[in-house]
Amino acid sequence: MASRLSRIWPALSRVRLSAALGSRCVSQTPKSSASGAAVASDLQPVSPAAQDSHGHAEVSPFEKNPDFHGFHHHDSFVDEWNMKLAFFFGISVAIVIGGTFIHYLPDHGMRQWARREAERLIKQRESEGLPLMTENFYHPSTIVLPCSGE
Amino acid sequence: MLKVLIPTIMLFPTIWLASPKWLWTTTTAHSLLIASISLMWLKWTSEAGWTSSNMYLATDPLSTPLLVLTCWLLPLMILASQNHISPEPISRQRSYITLLASLQTFLIMAFGATEIIMFYIMFEATLIPTLIIITRWGNQTERLNAGTYFLFYTLAGSLPLLVALLLLQQSTGTLSMLVLQYSQPLQLNSWGHMIWWAGCLIAFLVKMPLYGVHLWLPKAHVEAPVAGSMVLAAVLLKLGGYGMMRMMVMLDPLSKELAYPFIILALWGIIMTGLICLRQTDLKSLIAYSSVSHMGLVTGGIVIQTPWGFSGAIILMIAHGLVSSALFCLANTAYERTHSRTMM
Repeated sequence: MASRLSRIWPALSRVRLSAALGSRCVSQTPKSSASGAAVASDLQPVSPAAQDSHGHAEVSPFEKNPDFHGFHHHDSFVDEWNMKLAFFFGISVAIVIGGTFIHYLPDHGMRQWARREAERLIKQRESEGLPLMTENFYHPSTIVLPCSGE
Repeated sequence: MLKVLIPTIMLFPTIWLASPKWLWTTTTAHSLLIASISLMWLKWTSEAGWTSSNMYLATDPLSTPLLVLTCWLLPLMILASQNHISPEPISRQRSYITLLASLQTFLIMAFGATEIIMFYIMFEATLIPTLIIITRWGNQTERLNAGTYFLFYTLAGSLPLLVALLLLQQSTGTLSMLVLQYSQPLQLNSWGHMIWWAGCLIAFLVKMPLYGVHLWLPKAHVEAPVAGSMVLAAVLLKLGGYGMMRMMVMLDPLSKELAYPFIILALWGIIMTGLICLRQTDLKSLIAYSSVSHMGLVTGGIVIQTPWGFSGAIILMIAHGLVSSALFCLANTAYERTHSRTMM
């Protein structure tokens, strides 16, 4: 599938680019001598927007290197190895091994323990007939209130 | 902590000694390894909350997600900027990655700091590489103006913070976060105290940014190259949120009355910047204003000082860090292919 895409990509990119630039299409048919030298359109330089940062006209990198992975424009060996290492360290190590590590982390903040403990205590108190929770957090005899005269 | 900090510092020799052919490959692989190692911070080892290997650097459940986000972002920035930086001369490429790595180092030390002064110094230190990235590698002439706005807005906010921190040190004798979280609430009842309260927070509100002082953000985000935008949106804004969360612990009784203007500004900012987004033609500018909107919600969540507010703010900071940097990356992809950022 990638090879199919790389074959139609040059045509696709040319079509999209010319549409994005507002169709500055120039006729390439050879002019007959009768029309004279009035046609100057093919003497115009390529528009700066259609050039890449090298200053060359926009040429698909897939023409030179059909297996271009996007990492290195001139050397396909470096390009391929950059792709391999980026995917290996990025996905296999960081995401897969890192994700496994996160999955097996111990109970953060003891939340799962708290849920299990609460369920256990509820079961225990229901079987003993006690209320699930007492109304007073502190025992009322330990609370010292100021007398109402003050 | 040093398991991650030392490899990050070792990135600098890697950058300058790698051969030009393999520069981007080695830095990508090295930074991805650092990102994988940084996940070990998520292992919660201490009941007290803070996990420290030494007196100066520690992590706790607030700073850990932000640290992991920071470490994850460096390889993404390198991957995103490889295409448009590769044509440049090799020493400029190395300088660019050096600036990204130095930002990483300062940010790790900022989020891991236990002393508030250390956090402040690293907070300021992150300005310099970011300024250089914006003004040297930005694409339009407005980048100089953007750099000026970025630098001076943040500096103007953080000078009162320095004075406030010195006053705090004078009155409590310590600036360690480990100690201050247990200190008695301070008696804050005069106008001077209120100005001190504002001074503690303004730097972080400018950094977040809060709606009224947000003007630097659209400029800086739009004019920065893709890696600069990514790190600005994903992590540097969160420095403001993190700082606010740390400072709120000590500012307590006064915050009940004084927080209202900021809550109002934050909420109004969410609506206004959301509406501004609808009128944008520049894609990067749209993402920048959406960042202001999201950070307005984070500011609101922090300033109301409830546990859910804090948790929500942390979750939104991490989510926004991942999503916003990805959006800038996509905007750059579109820009590289069509050489235009307008959406019409």
